Amino acid sequence: MSKLRETLEAGAFPVVVELKPPKGAGVDEMLAVVKALAGRVTAFSLPDNEHARMRLAAVAAARLVQEAGGEALVHLTCRDRNRLALESDLLGAASLGLENLLLVSGDYVTLGDHPQAKPVYDADSVQLLQIARGLMDGHDSAGLALTGAPAFFLGAVVIPEAEPLPPQLIKFEKKLAAGAQFFITPAVFDLDKLRRFREHLPETPVKLLVSVKVLGADEVAQAAAGQWRKVYSLPPNLVNDLAGKEPEDILAMGVKAASRLVQQIKQEKLADGVYLKAKGRTDLFTKILEAAGL
Amino acid sequence: MIIAERKPFAEIKAMLAPYKKILIVGCGTCVAVCLAGGEKEVGLLASQLKLALGVEDKHLEIGEITVERQCDLEFLRPLCDFTADYEAIVSMACGAGVQFLNQLCSLHPVFPAVNTTFIGVNNEVGYYTEACRACHNCYLGITGGICPVTMCPKGLLNGPCGGMVNGRCEVDPEKECAWCRIYHRLELEGRLDNLREILPLHPHDRTTTPGTVIHPAYKRRYGLNE
Repeated sequence: MSKLRETLEAGAFPVVVELKPPKGAGVDEMLAVVKALAGRVTAFSLPDNEHARMRLAAVAAARLVQEAGGEALVHLTCRDRNRLALESDLLGAASLGLENLLLVSGDYVTLGDHPQAKPVYDADSVQLLQIARGLMDGHDSAGLALTGAPAFFLGAVVIPEAEPLPPQLIKFEKKLAAGAQFFITPAVFDLDKLRRFREHLPETPVKLLVSVKVLGADEVAQAAAGQWRKVYSLPPNLVNDLAGKEPEDILAMGVKAASRLVQQIKQEKLADGVYLKAKGRTDLFTKILEAAGL
Repeated sequence: MIIAERKPFAEIKAMLAPYKKILIVGCGTCVAVCLAGGEKEVGLLASQLKLALGVEDKHLEIGEITVERQCDLEFLRPLCDFTADYEAIVSMACGAGVQFLNQLCSLHPVFPAVNTTFIGVNNEVGYYTEACRACHNCYLGITGGICPVTMCPKGLLNGPCGGMVNGRCEVDPEKECAWCRIYHRLELEGRLDNLREILPLHPHDRTTTPGTVIHPAYKRRYGLNE
């Protein structure tokens, strides 16, 4: 059983940090984060061509993370693969010892750095969860038997601040029914919104990792210009505090805000664990963990 | 109907550069409605070519004709004799019409003058939007008459993606999220339960190209088992 699953099931507040697979074959910088933090965090998350921008394969990066002494949480997107590729990549991940998965539809290709690429979406995230569950049960999506069923810990995304929320809640229920074992949210800055979302969670316990993010100067400038268009909101006072500051000062203030959020989430039991996004930088992760007392 | 856009003039002119006598064939149905390849557009293209080549002191003899439907043998067959005198044919029909014409007029090169874009609707004059991907497995009865395959850029079958912001689409914020539209329509109709069932993977084997449909009443005529 994966450490992430064990920690979640033990109620021990796991910490997952998000790495940035490189745009290139040089993996030293990414693996340096793993070597520095392997003893302090539960797992390292590997996005799959995040924001539709081509990067080193998440499954390969995840295997390298495990070889470097960390546990991996590997993302798999429906955008870039048909069902054959999704299934064979899932089996490939299992054969490499990768158990933790985050199964997503994926940002659309025109938003990324290969806008003329063909978007696939042969499956959606709900169907991909069903596919992975089927593999665990020993058959592929065509109903054919497997030689050796994989063991996965299936994660999915839920959007607490979706507006309108009801269609998102229906999708959340479908993901649960399809076999999701834990959920990860996008970044949360406004805990009131997270508290309100929790009122909609089903009575059956659902394992929830809430993302806490350190904003960059470009994101702050975007928000200050009134051009923020994300699935999570930024409190106006936070944007006012950060706007116009030097990039490193923004990161330093972001680290403080992130550690406060992590502490509050843990104290109030607003989530079962946290998922940290801090530019894939060891120094920022370390400061958040220290300030949050983790 | 089929929506098309006329190709850039420079592209058409370059394709026709080797020829001295061409026939431009319009289509009187879809491409006429969307102002891309009907009788008027045939005349416009012919005039444009004559003017452009006249400036260059070149001569191009151009014949013009528009048939009711280039995708229909009934209307296309009479054209065959008419094309014999020309060196090349320009079709202003959709891709189906161009290929049908090409098949029938096997001695002449046939060039397309439009880019076929989608199956869509005529909202107002000059304003067309896509409405159907011809996916071979219509979901509209389940999804409140709003197509997730076409209206959601990702073609998701089980609800909105994570990129929807304030009910707007991740890909084009000018557009309402298809899944929000579906939700609101089904809510209005009291049919939200439709959304609780997980729709299975789409049967893409049916979309293998080129597709063929034989009406059940005509199976014997075409040598198929009834």
